Amino acid sequence: MQGISFRRSSVAGLPAGSGSALPALLLVGLFFIMPVVALLLRSVTDPEPGLQNYATLFGSGTYVRVFLNTFLVASVVTAVTILVAFPVAWMLAIMPPAMGSIVFGIIVLSMWTNLLTRTYAWMVLLQRTGVINRALMGLGIIHEPLPLINNLAGVTIGMVYIMLPFMILPLVGTLRAIDPMTLRAAALCGASPFEAFRRILLPLSLPGVAAGGLMVFVMSLGYFVTPALLGGTSNMMLAEMIAQTVQSLLNWGLGSAAAFVLLVVTMALYAIQLRLVGARRAGGGI
Amino acid sequence: MTRSFLSIRALRKTFGAFVAVHDVTIDVPKGEFLTFLGPSGSGKSTTLYAIAGFQDPSSGDVLLEDMSLLSVPSHKRNIGMVFQRYTLFPHLSVAENIAFPLRVRRRPDAEIKRKVADMLALVRLENFADRHPGALSGGQQQRVALARALAYDPPILLMDEPLSALDKKLRQEIQAEIRRIHRETGVTILYVTHDQEEALHLSDRIALFREGRIEQIGTGEDLYLRPASEFVAGFIGNSNFLPAEHLQTARGASTIRLADGSIVTGIKTTTSFGQGQRVRLMVRPEAFRLAPGATSAALAVEIIDTAFFGDRRRVMARTAAGDEIDVRPASDAEGADSATTSGKRIFFDPGSAFLFPA
Repeated sequence: MQGISFRRSSVAGLPAGSGSALPALLLVGLFFIMPVVALLLRSVTDPEPGLQNYATLFGSGTYVRVFLNTFLVASVVTAVTILVAFPVAWMLAIMPPAMGSIVFGIIVLSMWTNLLTRTYAWMVLLQRTGVINRALMGLGIIHEPLPLINNLAGVTIGMVYIMLPFMILPLVGTLRAIDPMTLRAAALCGASPFEAFRRILLPLSLPGVAAGGLMVFVMSLGYFVTPALLGGTSNMMLAEMIAQTVQSLLNWGLGSAAAFVLLVVTMALYAIQLRLVGARRAGGGI
Repeated sequence: MTRSFLSIRALRKTFGAFVAVHDVTIDVPKGEFLTFLGPSGSGKSTTLYAIAGFQDPSSGDVLLEDMSLLSVPSHKRNIGMVFQRYTLFPHLSVAENIAFPLRVRRRPDAEIKRKVADMLALVRLENFADRHPGALSGGQQQRVALARALAYDPPILLMDEPLSALDKKLRQEIQAEIRRIHRETGVTILYVTHDQEEALHLSDRIALFREGRIEQIGTGEDLYLRPASEFVAGFIGNSNFLPAEHLQTARGASTIRLADGSIVTGIKTTTSFGQGQRVRLMVRPEAFRLAPGATSAALAVEIIDTAFFGDRRRVMARTAAGDEIDVRPASDAEGADSATTSGKRIFFDPGSAFLFPA
C-alpha cells in the first residue's frame, strides 16, 4: 500500500512551486522526495553498492514475467473499466441532476466500504461453489463451475469493480461538458447513432478517457490486496512480488529496485499523458 | 392544384395536460422563406422540432412531397438545421465540420473537397478552412453552421433563432447573408424567431404563433397593414390602443366614440360590432400627423415629451382620458419641432386605423 500513497503525492506535488508555497515544498521534500531518494539509494547499495539488483530484476525470467504480467493485468483492467464506465458515465451525464447525484452517491459509497471487505465479498461470489457459479448451474446455463477466481478473470473482475469510480468521475465531467445539441446537430447532418458516437462523442470524451484511463492504469500497476486474494500464483503482480521479496526473502535492495522501476514507469506515463493532453488543448482552440 | 412541398397537417403536441401546439396546419411551397414568429412558449420551436424529428407529435402529420416524415429518424430525414447556440463540432476544423454530413454519407473524397470549397465560398469563409470553431467569432461560427447545414443540399433548412446569440450589428450582417443565400440556393427555409423585425426583414410569409395556435399567416405586409387581431397588431410593429365605444357601421366604415367623447367616423372594419359595444381603436405611431390632413380625425392631447432620432421624431402624448400615445412623425414633418405644449391636437387618417373587440 505504501507504493500507492507515494505515487499519489507525486501527482499532487508536481504543480506546486511558488515562493509562498515553502511549507508545502518542505512537506513534499520530507514526505515524498526523501523516501524516494532513500528508496533509490537502497536499491543501489543493499546488500552492496552497484547495479546488481537491477541486473537481477531484468536478467531473471521470473521477474521479467512478473513485470509483463503486471502490465498485462493493468491493461486489461483499464480496458474493461473504460468499457464498463462509459455507458454508466453517459447515463449519469444525461440524467436529471437530482437523480444523477443519487446514483453518483451510490457509486461513491462503494469507495467508502473497506477494500478488504469488498475483495472478500468477491471471493464469496466468484469461487467454484460461489453464488455466481451456483446460480448459473441452477439455471442450466453451465454444467461445470466457471474458473472465476485465482486467475486473470478473478483479478480483472475484482479490480474493475474497485477502479470504476476513478474512471466514471473524470468521464462524467468530460461528457457533461459536451453540448447535447451537438449530437442533435450530428443526427440531422445524417449521422446514425453509431456514427455520432464514433465521430463526435468518442473524440470529444477522449480527454476524460485518457485522464481516467491513466489513473486506473497507474493504480492497477501497484495494486496489492485484490491481486493477492483473487489472483493465482501463475500471474503474480509486482506489488505482491515486492512484498514477498521484502517480507519473506528479506531482500530490501531487490524490493527497492522493483519499487523504483515501478515509480519511474508511472512518472513516464504521467509525463506522456500531460504532453498528449497539453497538445490537444493547444490544437483545440486559442 | 399541385400538392404543397412541405405540409404540416393538424399537428398537435401535448406535454401532460399542457398543450404546446394546437392542431397547426401549414402548407409550404418549395423555395419559400417561412418564419414562425411568436413569444416564447407559443409553440413555434416545438413545431420546428417535430419537423426535425427531435419531438414526436401527439397527433397530426408532417409530409414532405406527400411522404410522411414522422416514421423517419432524424438522421435519415435529410433536413438541414442551424441552431440557436453554435453546435459546431469543437474537435473538427471548419472544413471538416462542413464535410461531416458528406463523410457520414460516404461521398467520394473529390466530391467532398469540391463541395466544402463551394460552401466556404457561399458563406465567405474561404480563409478559415483550417481554423477550429473555438478560434472563430460567434457570427463566423453561425456561418459555418449554415454551410454545414447546406452542404448536402437538403430540401428544407430549419433555423431555430440562429441570430439570438449575436449582437445587433452582427445580426443585421448575418440577416443579409441569409437572404442572399436563400436567393442563391433556392432552399426552402423554416425560420423560428421572436424578433418581429427579423421576421419582417427575412420572410416571404410569417406565421404568427400564440399559445400553440397560428394567430395569422401571411406576408409581412398582411400582418402589418391588415392585422387579423389585436394580438397581431400589438406584436408586429408599434401600436397605440385607445378604448372606445362602437356606435354604428355602414358599408365597412365604422363610427366610434372615444373616451374623451370625440366621435371618429370612417374606420375600415371587417368585423361586425353591436351598437354600444366596447372596442379598441388601433393606430400605428407613424400614422399620426402633427398637422391636419384632408380626411383626418383629430385628437386633443397634451404633449409630454419629444425626442429626435435622426430620420424620425418621437412624440409622447397623453389624451384627456389619460391614455399615452406614441407618435413617430418624420423629423421634417410640419409641426414636428414644436415644443412641449398642452392643448395640442394630433391627427390621423381613420382609413389607416383598426377596430378590435375590447
